Amino acid sequence: MASVQVSEAEKVYIMHGVRDDLRVDGRGCEDYRHMVIETDVVSNTDGSAKVSLGHSDILVGVKAEIGKPRALVPDEGYLEFFVDCSANATPEFEGRGGEELGIDLSNTLYKVFNNKHSIDLRSLCICPGEHCWVLYVDVLLLQCDGNLFDAISIAIKAALFNTRIPKVHISEDAEGGKEIELSDDPYDCVRLNVENVPCIVTLCKVGQRHVVDATLQEKACSVASLLLAVTHKGMVTCVRKMGGGSLDPESISEMTETGKRVGKALHAPLMDLLKKEEGLGKNRQKVGFLR
Amino acid sequence: MKDTPLSNCERQFLLKAVEEKKRVDGRQTYDYRNIKITFGTEYGCCIVDLGKTRILAQVSCELVPPKDSRPTEGILFFNLELSPMASPAFELGRQSELLVKLNRQLERCLRNSKCIDTESLCVISGEKVWQIRVDVHVLNHDGNLMDAASIAAIAALSHFRRPEVAIQGRDITVFTPEERDPIPLSIYHMPICVSFAFFQQGTYLLVDPCEREERVMDGLLVIAMNKHREICSIQSSGGIMLLKEQVLRCSKIASVKVSEITELINKALDNDKRARKEGGKFGFAESMPKERITALKKDEAPVEMTDVQDTANEIISRTEAQPDIVKVPSPVVPAPGTGQVGEGLLNTWGLEEEEDEEEEQHEKEEMSTGEVMVLSDSEEDDVVILNPDANKPKRLEGGSKKGVEAPKKQKTSH
Amino acid sequence: MAGVELLSDQGYRLDGRKASELRKVQARMGVFAQADGSAYIEQGNTKALAVVYGPHEVRGSRSRTMHDRAVINCQYSMATFSTAERKRRPHGDRKSSEMSLHLKQTFEAAVLTQLYPRSQIDIYVKILQSDGGNYSACVNAATLALVDAGIPMRDYVCACTAGFVEDTPLADLCHAEESGGGTTLALALLPRSRHIALVQMDARLHQDHLDMLMEAAAEACRGLSKVLDGVVRQHLQEVSVLTRD
Repeated sequence: MASVQVSEAEKVYIMHGVRDDLRVDGRGCEDYRHMVIETDVVSNTDGSAKVSLGHSDILVGVKAEIGKPRALVPDEGYLEFFVDCSANATPEFEGRGGEELGIDLSNTLYKVFNNKHSIDLRSLCICPGEHCWVLYVDVLLLQCDGNLFDAISIAIKAALFNTRIPKVHISEDAEGGKEIELSDDPYDCVRLNVENVPCIVTLCKVGQRHVVDATLQEKACSVASLLLAVTHKGMVTCVRKMGGGSLDPESISEMTETGKRVGKALHAPLMDLLKKEEGLGKNRQKVGFLR
Repeated sequence: MKDTPLSNCERQFLLKAVEEKKRVDGRQTYDYRNIKITFGTEYGCCIVDLGKTRILAQVSCELVPPKDSRPTEGILFFNLELSPMASPAFELGRQSELLVKLNRQLERCLRNSKCIDTESLCVISGEKVWQIRVDVHVLNHDGNLMDAASIAAIAALSHFRRPEVAIQGRDITVFTPEERDPIPLSIYHMPICVSFAFFQQGTYLLVDPCEREERVMDGLLVIAMNKHREICSIQSSGGIMLLKEQVLRCSKIASVKVSEITELINKALDNDKRARKEGGKFGFAESMPKERITALKKDEAPVEMTDVQDTANEIISRTEAQPDIVKVPSPVVPAPGTGQVGEGLLNTWGLEEEEDEEEEQHEKEEMSTGEVMVLSDSEEDDVVILNPDANKPKRLEGGSKKGVEAPKKQKTSH
Repeated sequence: MAGVELLSDQGYRLDGRKASELRKVQARMGVFAQADGSAYIEQGNTKALAVVYGPHEVRGSRSRTMHDRAVINCQYSMATFSTAERKRRPHGDRKSSEMSLHLKQTFEAAVLTQLYPRSQIDIYVKILQSDGGNYSACVNAATLALVDAGIPMRDYVCACTAGFVEDTPLADLCHAEESGGGTTLALALLPRSRHIALVQMDARLHQDHLDMLMEAAAEACRGLSKVLDGVVRQHLQEVSVLTRD
C-alpha cells in the first residue's frame, strides 16, 4: 500500500483522539467514510462496479466464460480473482512493483469466497463434469487511500449483483457430442444470488481501541489489524490477522463483536441501494468518472 | 557491457558533415550501402550484408493446432534476437527498447501486410495447420538493422520450401524431401523496410544510416513498401516532428529504393535456383572469399630465352650508379652479450643552446660544400657499457660521430 | 474478413456516422486527488484514464538522469476486462511495451523538458474499455492530464485514427473497422504548428492515397483539439469558481 510518513506528534494526536471516540475527520470509531457506488460502468463485461471510499477508487469487472469444472467438484462452477494494482495509484506500482500486493489481495479474496455459503456455485454448472461457468473477477486498483479490502469486497458484491450470465441451451449433436448454445437475447439471462456474499470489515487496533475504515494515517499508527468477512446474517466466514504486532485474545473478541455488528449493518443499505439503482432501468445516466 | 559513448567532437563532426550533405563513408544522401544476399544449403536460410551490418534469417515449419479465433489459417511467428556478437552493447536475455521496436516493426511489416497466404497453410481446418517460424539473428551491428532484417526475412521466406502433405480423411502423411519435392510458400508481395534518419529537427535526412549516424540522429522514419508502390507500414520513432510533405517525399524515395532492392533479391533467388539445378556448389561456404590455397595451379607461359644474357647486361650498364644513400652503420659489439647498430635518431629534446648550435652548423654546412665538419661533441644518448674499456670510448666517439654524421647528411640531402 | 460492409451506399458507416465524423468525445480533468494530474476521456466506447506524477526526482537508476532535461517515463496498460476476450496480462507483453515507447516518444517531442533538468515525469495510461483507437485515446487523455498537472507543453497533442475504404478516408475508427482488414493510420499532431509527433500505419495502402489519408487524419485531429481546448477551459472555469473567496 502507498504509505505515508507520520510524525510522532501526529501519532500521539491520532491515538488520543481515537481513545475519545473522535477521529481526525470527525467520525466515530465505527463510522465509514462517504461511499459512492455505481454499477455497469464498463460495457464490455458481464457485470461491473465502481466504488469510491474516501479517496480509494476500485473498479471491478466480471466476465463469464465457459470452462471445464474442477476435478474434485464436477458439478460446480468457480470464481477466479485477479487484482491489478495499477501504476495510477502510486509510481511504485509501475512495472512489476504492484504484483506483490496484488497477489496478496487475490489470495485473501480466494480464502473469503472459498466456501459454499457465499455463492451458490452449483448454479454455475452447465453440464456436470464437462462444462461450467467460470467467473473471472478482475479488480483494478486506481487509487489507494487505506482500507482496500472493504472497498474491494463491496465492489465485488455490487459487480456480482450486476452480472448477467446468458442462458444456455444444451442440445445433442448428431455424433453424440453436446452443443452449447448461448441465447442471443441480452435480457434472457441468469442473475446471481448475492444475498450471502460476505463483506469484509477491517478493524485496526490504534492504542487501546479499534477503528473501522482506517485512513492511511491511522494505519501508520496501528501495528495490527483484524480482517473479518461477515455475511448479512452476521455470520463470520473468514478471519485473518494482519500486521506485525500482536493482539491479545480479549481485543480479538471485542473486535469480532464490533465487526459483526458493523458488517451486518452494512448489507441492508447496500442491497437497497443496488436494487434502487437497478430500478432506475435504462434511463439511468451513467456517470462513471465523468462526475 | 555499456556502449562506448560518443564524444562531443565526433558528434559535431558528423552533424556538420550532414549539413554540408557529406557522409562519412563517401555516399550520397540517398545511397544505400552494398547489399549482398547469400543463401545457405538448406532451404529458408539467408544471410544479408548491408555494408558491414550482417543479419541471418532462418525459416522453419511445424504442424500445430490452429488458434481458436482463426481455425482455417496458418500461424506466422517472428522472432528477432540481438546476439551479443553484434555489438558490445547487446546483452543476452535483456529485453531492451531496441529489441521490442525491431520485433514489433518486423511483425507489422510482414504479418499485417498479409504478404503470405496463410489460408494455404491450413492442412485440416480446426486441427492442424502449418506454423511458419522466422528466426532473425543480428550478427554484426553497423546501423540500419531494420532494413537488413526485413530483407533477410522476406528473402528467407521466398527461399523456403515446406514439405508436402497428403490428407486421407483424418490422417496426415508428411513427405520427406526425398520422397516428394517440397513446395514453396505462396507469397503475394515482398514488403521491404526503408529507414530515413532525420537530423537538426527534421531539416536534413539520410537514407540507410550507418551506426555512427544513428547515434547522432534525432529520429527515424521507417516506411515499408513493396514494388507495386503499396505502402505496407509507416512508423516514426524518436522525438522528431515531421511535416506531411516530408513523409510524402520519403515515401517517393522509398518506392525507388524498394524496386531496386526487390530486383536484387529476385536475382539472388534466381542465381541460387540455377546453381541448385545445375548441381553446382551453393551455400555459405561458397560465398565466403577464398583465402586458403586449396589447389595450386601453375601456369606456364613461354618466354623467349635466346639472347637473355646480352639484354640483361645491357640493362645493367645503362642504369646509373646508385648513390650511397644511407650508410647503415655496421653493428658494434661493445661487450659480449650486447650489440649495437647505429645510434638512433637525433635527440630533439635537446636544450636551446644545442639547437642554436645545430642551426649554426646547418648554416655553415650549407656554405661549405661537401665538407663535413664535426663541431659539437654533444652526447645525445647515454650509452651504458657493461665492461668499460680503454679502447671502447674512442670507438664510441667514432660511432657517435658516425651517428651524428648520418642524420646531418640526411639534413643536407634534404 | 469480408462480409461486413464498412461503408454503405448512402455513405453511412457501421455505427451510423458519416465518413469524416468523429465519435462522441467526453472528457474530464482532475479525476484523482492523489496524483499530480489526471484525466479521463471517452471516445465513443473507448475509455481511457491517464495519470501524471511529476516532475520529481528520478526514481530507481540514477544513471538515467539527464543533466539538461527531464526524463519522461510512460507506461501503457489495459485492464483485463477491457477487451471482448479477457486479457491475461495487463502489461508487459510486446504490444504494451511498444505502445509505451510510442507514448514516450510522442510526449518527449511535445513537453518542454528543458525546463526540468535532472527530473522525471511519469505518465501512466490505462485503457478501461477498448473499442478501437486505443493509442489516440491514450494520447488525448495524457495531454489533458499533463495540462492538469501544470506541465508546460508546446501545444496540445491530439491523436486520431483514419482508415481507407473504397477510396474514401474514414476518420476515427472503431474496433470493427480496425480489424476489418483495411488500412489503419494513427497520427499524433500538434495542431497549431502542423507538426506530426508520431505517424504509424499498418496494412497495405497505395502510395497515391497516402496524401488523402494523412489529410483526413490531420483534419480529425484539429477537430479533436477544439474539443480538448473546450474541456480545459471549462475545467479552469469550474476550478476558479470553486476556489474563489
